[in-house]
Amino acid sequence: MEGAEVLERLNWRVVTIKESKSETPHAKTLVLDVPEWPGHKAGQHVDVRLTADDGYQAERSYSIASSPQAPDLELTVERLDDGEVSPYLTDEAREGDQFELRGPVGGYFVWEADSSRPLLLIAGGSGLVPLMSILRHHQETGSQADVRLLLSARTLEDVLYRAELEALRDKLAIRLTLTREAPPPEWNGFARRIDRAMLEAVGPGPESHPRVYVCGPTPFVEQAAELLVGIGYEPRTVHTERFGGA
Amino acid sequence: MHKDGNAIAGMLMEIFEVEMTTERRTCQSCGQANEIGAHLLYAGAGYVLRCPNCGDMAAAIATVPDAPRITMFGSWSVEPPAR
Repeated sequence: MEGAEVLERLNWRVVTIKESKSETPHAKTLVLDVPEWPGHKAGQHVDVRLTADDGYQAERSYSIASSPQAPDLELTVERLDDGEVSPYLTDEAREGDQFELRGPVGGYFVWEADSSRPLLLIAGGSGLVPLMSILRHHQETGSQADVRLLLSARTLEDVLYRAELEALRDKLAIRLTLTREAPPPEWNGFARRIDRAMLEAVGPGPESHPRVYVCGPTPFVEQAAELLVGIGYEPRTVHTERFGGA
Repeated sequence: MHKDGNAIAGMLMEIFEVEMTTERRTCQSCGQANEIGAHLLYAGAGYVLRCPNCGDMAAAIATVPDAPRITMFGSWSVEPPAR
């Protein structure tokens, strides 16, 4: 992207939950009704603010899961046991409940479908969320860019959007690696932490100059980025989004 | 554990009123230019942004209620919003 974007002033808006969908035992997708949503780009996030009865406020960022083409804004939230915001959003928030949100923000981790450069997406756990927005954007715009996705999760049960990925698996190069069990044979997956051989098998290689997006817990992203640069990917083409502690 | 400058895109927009994560900053120590979103972000009482190449400080942000205050280091290239 070039230069500054035209963006309206960043305001908090009150949004309403239209639907809360279970994705895994620990994650939910919230379908939101957002008044005057200005639209977003694939890969962006929003800030969410909750206010307690005593006025105490907690603010967190959540990646947008829906594509820019989707009719509703969707956030996928993974429950963190010691979290201040996520347990409310995953366990307590119901259809019709409201909270404050501002955005979209984060132009750095964005992919736009006008690029035909190959695309390599690498996700650790719920790091899949912004990459799913990118993958959906790729599909819904009929992009001809060569896209590959490598998803690392603990178990099959932890895989977000599993049915959707299974439906896309035969059409797109989607590879799964599980770190605590073996993936079912139809996945043709891996059963280990990411390593150099796995990234080389997923490709596309550095010679085809793909744009690379890596998202997940900080140790996962550090490991993946180090491996990618070691293989020869240009560091400036490797976009990272770290969540923090795993 | 550190994150990326992209994570505070909302706070940076609150301060600058433009999308900052795609703007570039040249480090005063190593001379490398990197997008703000690619800088390393450390959270504590406030936030510290560091150069992803050499780790030198790029910004310190104090998050006092309702008014984040930023102290910047190095050379930041910021374009006004398109009209």
